[in-house]
Amino acid sequence: MSWPGSNWLGPVRTATGGVLRHKVQAVAIGLVVLVSTASATLGFTLLAASNAPFQHAFGAQDGAHVTVTVNAARASAADLAATRHLGGVTAAAGPFSESVVQTQFQGQPFGQFTLAGRGSPTGPVDDIVLNAGHWPHGPGQVVLDGSPGGGGPGLGSTLTVTGVPGTPALTVVGFGNSVTSTADGWVTPGEITRLQAPGAPQSAQMLYRFTHAASYGEVRADVAEVSRALPPGTVTGAASWLAAENQATGNGAIMEPFVVAFALIGLVMAVLIVGNVVSGAVVAGYQRIGVLKSIGLTPAQVVVAYLSRVGWPALVGCLAGVVAGNVLAIPVLNNSAGAYGVGSQQVPWWASVVAPAGMFALVLLAGFGPALRAGRLSAAEAIAAGRAPRAGRGYAAHRLASRLRLPRPAGLGLAAPFARPARTAVTLAAIAFGATAVIFAFGLNSSLSRAAASQTHSATIPVRVEQFGQGGPGGGPGQMPSAAQDAAVTAALRAQPGTLHEVALYGNGVRVPGIAGNVFARAFGGDAAWTGYGIIAGRWYSYVPGGVDVNTAFLDQSGLAVGDTATVNTGTAQVTVRIAGEVFEPSSQPRILGSTRTLPGIATPANLEEFDVALRPGVSAGGYVQAVNRTLGGRNPWQATSQHDGGQFYSIASGLVGLLALMVAIAAGLGVLNTVLMTTRDRVHDLGVFKALGMRPGQVLTMVVCWIAVPAVVGAAIAAPAAVALNTATVHAMAGTAHTGIPASFTQVFPPSRLALLSLAAVAIAVAGALLPASWAARARPAVALHAE
Amino acid sequence: MQQSAVIRLDGVTKTYQTGAPPALADLSLDVATGEVAAVMGPSGSGKSTLLNLIAGLDRPTAGTITVAGRRIDNLSESGLARFRARHVGIIFQFFNLLDDLTVQDNVLLPAQLAGASRRTARARAGDLLERMGIERHRDDYPARLSGGQRQRVAIARALVNSPDLLLADEPTGALDTATGLAIGRLLQELNADGQTLVLVTHDPALAERYAARTVRLLDGRLEPARVPA
Repeated sequence: MSWPGSNWLGPVRTATGGVLRHKVQAVAIGLVVLVSTASATLGFTLLAASNAPFQHAFGAQDGAHVTVTVNAARASAADLAATRHLGGVTAAAGPFSESVVQTQFQGQPFGQFTLAGRGSPTGPVDDIVLNAGHWPHGPGQVVLDGSPGGGGPGLGSTLTVTGVPGTPALTVVGFGNSVTSTADGWVTPGEITRLQAPGAPQSAQMLYRFTHAASYGEVRADVAEVSRALPPGTVTGAASWLAAENQATGNGAIMEPFVVAFALIGLVMAVLIVGNVVSGAVVAGYQRIGVLKSIGLTPAQVVVAYLSRVGWPALVGCLAGVVAGNVLAIPVLNNSAGAYGVGSQQVPWWASVVAPAGMFALVLLAGFGPALRAGRLSAAEAIAAGRAPRAGRGYAAHRLASRLRLPRPAGLGLAAPFARPARTAVTLAAIAFGATAVIFAFGLNSSLSRAAASQTHSATIPVRVEQFGQGGPGGGPGQMPSAAQDAAVTAALRAQPGTLHEVALYGNGVRVPGIAGNVFARAFGGDAAWTGYGIIAGRWYSYVPGGVDVNTAFLDQSGLAVGDTATVNTGTAQVTVRIAGEVFEPSSQPRILGSTRTLPGIATPANLEEFDVALRPGVSAGGYVQAVNRTLGGRNPWQATSQHDGGQFYSIASGLVGLLALMVAIAAGLGVLNTVLMTTRDRVHDLGVFKALGMRPGQVLTMVVCWIAVPAVVGAAIAAPAAVALNTATVHAMAGTAHTGIPASFTQVFPPSRLALLSLAAVAIAVAGALLPASWAARARPAVALHAE
Repeated sequence: MQQSAVIRLDGVTKTYQTGAPPALADLSLDVATGEVAAVMGPSGSGKSTLLNLIAGLDRPTAGTITVAGRRIDNLSESGLARFRARHVGIIFQFFNLLDDLTVQDNVLLPAQLAGASRRTARARAGDLLERMGIERHRDDYPARLSGGQRQRVAIARALVNSPDLLLADEPTGALDTATGLAIGRLLQELNADGQTLVLVTHDPALAERYAARTVRLLDGRLEPARVPA
């Protein structure tokens, strides 16, 4: 093969002419590459985002290894400033004055907030990333930790601080994220004084980064060093970054398996579709290649010409795709940052380089083989190869189709794919991948919904009565309720006609031989089978005398199994219990559930955590909560709530699953569009003949859509079991990262009727992809089609 | 006896590109039922354009076209397709058979597209294949047939819906002389049975031998009839 040397411009110009003459194919290549590049960029970004997000955010935001709370009255500013120079301290920020306040939102208790006075969100330690709004620049303004939405305060909402003279109001002007949650909100430094309860000690926070803070031991040593450097009694508390890391890792790692699954589906499908599109485009140009060769183009110039022909639209698609991928990544990363509990996440620079470069390389690689073959063919062979599929292929299918009692256009369409088996196989793969993604997305969504319902108990326990003492609902007792107040709750719940079930829930640490450290035990003061804990194995404890249920971490750490007995030391008693079942309670910490009779000593007033309530059908949770709270009165620390914590991850994951499935389905649809387009070009003369013989536009549409019917049906047959298997594997992988087993019901989300219905996704993708070229074919004038070869 | 016109063109103009000379200019023409009309002219004279317009494969830029008593220049694409299926049979120079269908399936296709019953269509196709002398090739694929046999299949396909009008575009152009003569005789027999035929050809001998009337086109216009010297 002779290389053309300096004469490159001619072939490129020739190719550009080809691009302009084949606008639809160029647009198809560009679109497929665009979606594939965007999908790959997003996939790489999500993989990067799920890779140690806390650690990355901690580094990027200069997270505080330790947040030390000090009594500001005991140490001078100079004393505190001097701690910056202690050995091992690499950076310090503060002192930031601090106040712990009680709040109300929309007239209801909204919990306790630790507010810090900071003039700026940035500094040497603990950069706070603003998710919305602006930093407070005057009195009466607050930035809350977290993100807006979720039924809580939004931008512009007002929180009322109670227990402070004048009950000052704070307008929410922003939402921010401290990677280690050094405070629940931030105000201007001067504001803290106004928010201080009369007689409350003045406190402040110092934020430190240390050389050595990788373990609890090192952190304790660091805190001790700071304490020693300050007057005795100055340090009143310290929070370690390791606790925040533990919590964030538990939330974040669970997302990794499905992100990986979707990223892999997207990448494999992008490779398949781009390969099909590009090689098809080159093969479709064979006839023109023959003509060009006959007028003197060298083989190398042919290769250059045709790589350029697919290269230009692919280049445009790559560039547009990387932009689209970055744009799409913004809301996705905002969500994932929320789920991972980090301030912000960005598209890594390498994703914006690797995705388009890789896709472009793939395009050139896919085009190189056919272009090389075209270069080596003689002019006559190229013209012949470009005209029609190899003779003899698909004849048997047509013979069979003609015997079927189907409308003739449908029979002709059904048999057509057998003339181009390789192209059909790739199209089938694209449809199968697309349908797998869609079915998988629906399945995963159902699995996640079941997991969310089981974890948050939102359906079974619509109302809880909790102590609004520290940090809002579930924050634990600030001022312990009196026995009368406890009894008032039980009376109020029983008096409500909407109450279906109510049960008191106690919690405390217990010791179990074989497990290091405390096991968190929860004991129900009555029947609790209705609370809806997901059973992974065994039964609910009440069906087994002396029975308890435990979570997966308990079994893993104790080496025990369902049916075994265990000795539990509750502090006041030592009892032998039987493990009745394994419940879905995702945590790396061992947990045990039982009745107050089986776990004696736990049901003390100090351990009373909450009352769980189930409502009668048709009873509004909101109305019920208001009624109960009216009965309890504002001074009772027990307050009813219908809010459920812990569901945020699931809603974010569901949104992400939907977006990823949509992208994969669009790419699959474009793959089908391209195949049908190429087949239409191949068979344009036949289409002209059909029309000349009286085939109506509607019949042409039917025939062309039927071209992809066989791949669609086979694709559906492959996609359905593949999606079920993928869903099962992914949910198990997600559960594994969350240190829990899962009830079988979480993966049994595909009853046959639903699976059959979802399998229609393959048909929907195929029809959606085929409809546009089919309508073009239907509209084409027969005289034009007959002479278009 | 005054026979009715099966084709009537009135002031038909066809222009493919704005500003370009028309392929057909203000053409008016009648073809009577049962007539064989030959359309002749050099390349680019507008013969194929005329055939496409009569067959409803294309639309005129101006003028009206009436075929088999129905005005077709204002029909929708579906209407035109129905018209072609019921009223027109087309024979192409290069046969335009569908390579992946058997001979019988090729012949059956227009009847199936027109909605004929399976039994009726098969019976009609069987008769035509027998009449064309290719009945034993019914299960063969076109690639295995000679040129003459393929053209016979194409004629059978064109006749399967018993059209009012048979349009033949250079029907012997791709055949050797002997086969061409045989196909010519076959068309003559069809006309003898009452089939109206419009024959587009370069071949003056074919036109002279089989057509009662020859229409000559030059640059999209009818040439005046030649008066013998």
